[in-house]
Amino acid sequence: MVNRMIISNILHRPVRTAVSALAVAIEVGMVMLVVGLTHGMVHENARRVEGVGADLLIQPPNSSFLFGLSQAPMPLKIGDRLAQVPHVLAVAPALFVLNSVGGINVIYGIDLQSFTRLSGGFVYHAGGPFTGPMDILVDDIYAKANRIKVGQQINMLNHQFRVAGIVEHGKGARLFIPLATAEDLLGVQDRASIFYVKCTEPGYVESVTEAIHDLPGKYQVLPIKEYMSLMTSNNLPGLDAFITAMIGIAVAIGFLVIFLSMYTTITERTREIGILKSLGASKGYIIAIILREAGLLSVVGILAGYGGAAVGRKAILAAFPTLSVELTFLWALYAASLALLGSLLGAFYPALRAAQLDPVDALAYE
Amino acid sequence: MDPIIATRDLRKVYRLGRVEVPALRGVDLTVQEGEFVAVVGPSGCGKSTLLHVLGGLTSPSTGSVLVDGNDFTRMSDADRTRFRRHKIGFVFQRFNLLPTLTAQQNIAIAQHIQGNGFNPHRFQAIVEMLGLQEKLKRRPYALSGGEQQRVAIARAVICEPKILLADEPTGNLDSENSQVVLNMMRTLNRTFRQTILMITHNPEAAAVADRIIRMRDGRIISD
Ligand SMILES: Nc1ncnc2c1ncn2[C@@H]1O[C@H](COP(=O)(O)OP(=O)(O)OP(=O)(O)O)[C@@H](O)[C@H]1O
Ligand SMILES: [Mg+2]
Repeated sequence: MVNRMIISNILHRPVRTAVSALAVAIEVGMVMLVVGLTHGMVHENARRVEGVGADLLIQPPNSSFLFGLSQAPMPLKIGDRLAQVPHVLAVAPALFVLNSVGGINVIYGIDLQSFTRLSGGFVYHAGGPFTGPMDILVDDIYAKANRIKVGQQINMLNHQFRVAGIVEHGKGARLFIPLATAEDLLGVQDRASIFYVKCTEPGYVESVTEAIHDLPGKYQVLPIKEYMSLMTSNNLPGLDAFITAMIGIAVAIGFLVIFLSMYTTITERTREIGILKSLGASKGYIIAIILREAGLLSVVGILAGYGGAAVGRKAILAAFPTLSVELTFLWALYAASLALLGSLLGAFYPALRAAQLDPVDALAYE
Repeated sequence: MDPIIATRDLRKVYRLGRVEVPALRGVDLTVQEGEFVAVVGPSGCGKSTLLHVLGGLTSPSTGSVLVDGNDFTRMSDADRTRFRRHKIGFVFQRFNLLPTLTAQQNIAIAQHIQGNGFNPHRFQAIVEMLGLQEKLKRRPYALSGGEQQRVAIARAVICEPKILLADEPTGNLDSENSQVVLNMMRTLNRTFRQTILMITHNPEAAAVADRIIRMRDGRIISD
C-alpha cells in the first residue's frame, strides 16, 4: 500500500526522481571509479614489479617502498657484493628516471644483460634489444596507447630516443633505457635506485635477507611477497587521503541532492501529509514514508551508478590504455552503503519536519 | 448511556504573534451515539475549530473534552493521533484525496494506517453503498467533485469510526451532487447508526440532520 504510494509519488515527478537518482548514481559511480582507479593503478604497478621475477628488493636505507620517490640512489658496486651473498642467483640494478610525458611514469635505466639474466628476458613483440645509448624499449600497452612503432623517434626528457623494440608488458616499468643513459640524464655515476635480487631457490629468501642485512650500509631489504602486501592504497598515505576526500565529496553530493529533493517534496506535499495526519497517521508512519521514498530513489541511483561505473571504466580504458581500473564487489557494497546512508541522513530532516507539521495548518496549505 | 461527545466550557485561543484570537469561548456540547448533528453559524464563528478539537487535530486551550470516554485535555499529541486513527473519520469541504493514488487506494490507505489490514467485506459494503464500484481504478483528477467526495466519505468510514466529522462536505458541490452526498450521510446514519457531526452553511443540508446547533462568536447559541 505504502509502496504503491511511494512509487506513485516518484513516478509523479519524473524529473525530480531522475535528478535525485542521478546524483546518487554519480556518487556511487565516482566512489567506485576513484577507488577502482587508484587501487587498479597501485596493484598494476605492484604486479609489474613482481613480474620482474626477483625474490628481494634492495633499496637505499630509510627509503619508502614507493619506488621512484626514494632518495639518492645507491652506488652500483653494492651489486657486486650482493652477488657474492650465498644462494644469490642474479642481481639486476635499475635506476629510476621520472617522466611526465603522457602521465607520470617511471623509466627504468637497466643493464640489459643482468636484467635479462634475472628476469628471463624480454619478449619482443617487435624490434629487439638496445643497440645504442639513445635507444628505448617500450612495452606493448604504452606502444598501443601512444601509437608507437619500432624505429620511430620519440621525445622523452628533452631527448630524442629511437624505439629499438616493443616488449611484452609486466616487467617493472613500461619504458626502459640503458643504465648509462639514465645516469647521464640524472647527472650521477654508477648508481642504482634499486637492486632486484633472485635467489637460487625460493627457500633461501630468509637466509639471503639476513645476510644482506649484515652487510655494511643498512640497505633496506624487502621480500617481494611483503612488498606486494604493502602495495595497497591503505598503505599509501597520500592516496588514502585523496580517496577519502573524493568519497567525501561524492557522499556530500548525494546527501545534499537527496536533502533538497525530499525537502521540496514535503513542501509540495504538505496537504497530503495533512491528509495522512487527519487519517491518524503517526509521526513514525510519515517519517517511514519519506525515508522509504529516499531509500527507493537511492536504490535506483545505486543501480544506475553501477552501470555508470562499468561504462566509465570502459571509457577510461579506451581513452587511456595504460591506466587500470579495478571495480571490486566489496567496494560496490561500500559505495552502496555510503549512498544509502547518505540519502537516509539527507531525508531525515525533511522527514522530521513533515512529521511535525501541524495537521490543521497542513490541510489549509495551498 | 454516556454521551459520545461531552464538552464543558471548551475554549480555544489561537496565538498569532502577540495577538490572541479566541475561536471558541466556552462551548458546552453533548452528543449521543447515533445522532446526526448539523452545526451552522456565520463564517469565523469557530465551527471548524470545534470540529478540529473534537477530532483531536488540535488541542483545546482550556475546558474539558470527553470523546468516547477519552479526556483530550490530558492526552499527548501521539495519543490523540492514535485516538483519531481508530475513532474518528474526517470529511472536508475540499475533498482531500491523495492525488497520486486511485480511488481504491485512497480508501484502502485508511485501513492501512489503522493497521488492521484490508477488510474486503467492509470495503465492498461501503463501496456499494456509495455507488463507487465503477470508479475504483480512477485517480482523483478523473473523478467529478461528487465522486471525489463520495470516495472521501468511503475513506472516512471504512474503519468504522465512532464519529464522522464533516466540515462543509457539500460546500464545493452543485445541488444535485450535494443531495447525493447528503443522502449518503443520511443512509450511513440510519443503517450503521453512524454518529455524524456536520458543519454546513446550507439550510437544506442542515435539515437532513436530527439536530441543528447554531454557533456565533465561539459559542453555541441554540441547540
Ligand atoms: N490557525 C489559525 N490561526 C489563527 N487563527 C485562526 C486559525 N484558524 C482559525 N482561526 C480564527 O479562529 C476563528 C474561527 O475560525 P474557524 O475556522 O473555526 O471558523 P468557521 O466557523 O469554520 O468559519 P468558516 O465558516 O468560514 O469556515 C476565526 O476568527 C479564524 O480567523
Ligand atoms: Mg470552517
